[in-house]
Amino acid sequence: MKLEPNGYKIKDFIKGVPITLWLLLLVIIPLLFTFIMSFYTSDGNVIDKTFSLSNYKIFFTDSLYSSILWKSIKLAVLVSVLSIAAAFPLAYLVSFKIKRGRNLLFMLSIIPLWVSYLVRIIAWRSILGNQGVINSLLLAIGIIEKPLTFLLYNQFSIAITLIYICIPFVFIPVYTALEKIPKNLTEASSDLGAGEGKTFIYIIVPLAMPGLITGFIFSFIIALGDYIIPNQLGGTSGIMYGNLIWSQFGFAFNWPFGAALGFILFTIAITILGLTSRFGSTEGGFLSE
Amino acid sequence: MKNSTAIKLENIQKKFNDFTAVDDFNVEIKKGEFFSLLGPSGCGKTTTLRMIAGLEEPTRGNIMLESEIVNNVPPYKRHVNTVFQDYALFPHMTVKKNIYFPLKMRKIPLPQAEPMIKKVLQLVNMEEFGNRLPQQLSGGQRQRIALARSLVNEPAALLLDEPLGALDFKLRIAMQKVLKDIQQNVGITFIYVTHDQTEAMTMSDRIAVMKDGRVHQIGNPDQIYNSPATAFVASFIGDMNFIHGRIVSKNRQEAEAYGNVFKFLNDKSDFTKEQDVLICVRTEKVQVNASREVDNSFDAELKRIIFRGVDYELTFNLNGAELRSIVSSLEWNQSIKTGTILKIGWNSDDVLIFPAEEERDIVKYSLDSE
Repeated sequence: MKLEPNGYKIKDFIKGVPITLWLLLLVIIPLLFTFIMSFYTSDGNVIDKTFSLSNYKIFFTDSLYSSILWKSIKLAVLVSVLSIAAAFPLAYLVSFKIKRGRNLLFMLSIIPLWVSYLVRIIAWRSILGNQGVINSLLLAIGIIEKPLTFLLYNQFSIAITLIYICIPFVFIPVYTALEKIPKNLTEASSDLGAGEGKTFIYIIVPLAMPGLITGFIFSFIIALGDYIIPNQLGGTSGIMYGNLIWSQFGFAFNWPFGAALGFILFTIAITILGLTSRFGSTEGGFLSE
Repeated sequence: MKNSTAIKLENIQKKFNDFTAVDDFNVEIKKGEFFSLLGPSGCGKTTTLRMIAGLEEPTRGNIMLESEIVNNVPPYKRHVNTVFQDYALFPHMTVKKNIYFPLKMRKIPLPQAEPMIKKVLQLVNMEEFGNRLPQQLSGGQRQRIALARSLVNEPAALLLDEPLGALDFKLRIAMQKVLKDIQQNVGITFIYVTHDQTEAMTMSDRIAVMKDGRVHQIGNPDQIYNSPATAFVASFIGDMNFIHGRIVSKNRQEAEAYGNVFKFLNDKSDFTKEQDVLICVRTEKVQVNASREVDNSFDAELKRIIFRGVDYELTFNLNGAELRSIVSSLEWNQSIKTGTILKIGWNSDDVLIFPAEEERDIVKYSLDSE
């Protein structure tokens, strides 16, 4: 093959065409529409297409929106951290401690993904509700006399359900990262004087970091944008940013304002993801040796 | 203290379910000794090393480090370090951090550790590479860093698991010298696992030759080469001719094969008359057109000539018995063609006799590397 710089450029260009088209059609153009629409205004059912910053003005002046956004971000971070806290030890056990039936355990860990998203959410309602599994059990044993009401229709129930939804999405990248760690590194670590705890902190965690970051990103995205779980399990105190956007499109028919809210969320999410994934890729660079 | 024991293995056995990986291993390894475990793959040499490191527990027997039984002591509490076959350097740490790791585990602060790290980097001649990541190094360089990392704690013994296995031939030869020099400089006991007989022969003070979990012989290179304990050892190390024969006269020490009578000298005279035996002669001991006096001398037909650069491998037919001889290129007359009848011979003290049952253990065809 001849190493002609021009030839390579054309070749690389052709290679890049399908992915560019795909991105353009499915990501960039819809986003652009949203972006443009966020500068329109809505008057009842009529959309006024003159350029206006009023949607953004409402967002930045009415603290209701920013406070709900802030609440949603905090919840998404909390959910992501707790999902990792739940999935990481599980993935570590399956990858490092279990010798037989690892594939079966892996499948069992991601089996919730095979069940409809809505069914799993409703299932949690019947676990946490007044006549749900937990309350019935506690009432039957006699620990409580009245059903516990803090279980459902608040941020707690949203968080629990989101964590449950997110765990498989964290488990998969973390498990994959752990499987890539050569097993003789833990032997070497032990040989060089590190007990299991120190090996975990100094060897396993840094090497699993790319998987942990990917897991964090997945669960963060899921938790930040979700509106069905707050809708079904959140009650009045559980309105999240996703619900705000959805209500603009679904109830208020104020699409331009919904688009503006959506675009603000998108910008914030992209910024956070950009920061974390850059951190992740420098830490994870060695894996693509 | 020079001759005190560093490591002692007592009746070590290791079973994996029904498979016996190592059986009845007994040895005392002295301080400062270069001790090799040599054998074909699956012979139990690596398992033995891993038991000393603490990465496997023996099923039976005792492992003693500096006269202390360590059977159940976890690896991180044993004063031995291992150089792993594929180096096992931590990919997320620089060379310096890799070497600092064992010191950090001993809670030695970095400023205090710096000179120690520098010293071992100097020892392996890699001072300028402290800030590189392992994947920015070549195989030989990674090998040296792995060595430095294992040496920085000044362990009672350094365990090396085929450390040169992944390197190419020339680099392997160079690294053998580096390793031997380092071992002599630091005076640490080395336990070295290899399947490469040349490597074991050139580097070791003593060698344990293993097969199928059993130790066939422990001895210095001279004993292993010149007085192999079993037919397996004789076949695994060096190049040996094996001929099926029978003892014809016990007193006169003669064996017969294909109608030829071979004289031998054997001090372990536990052979009976008419016993089936293997008659063994090293290829380099078979002389062609012998100039010096030999007491076994035969006419043989030259069947094959293989030029190997520094020498020729000649194959002879001796009334149906096949014999190979290694002749230096300087001494070989190139005009001699196959089919010629030549006089070949050797001395009776070059002949080894083993019971015929040991034939199953013979390494039929051995390459230098797997």
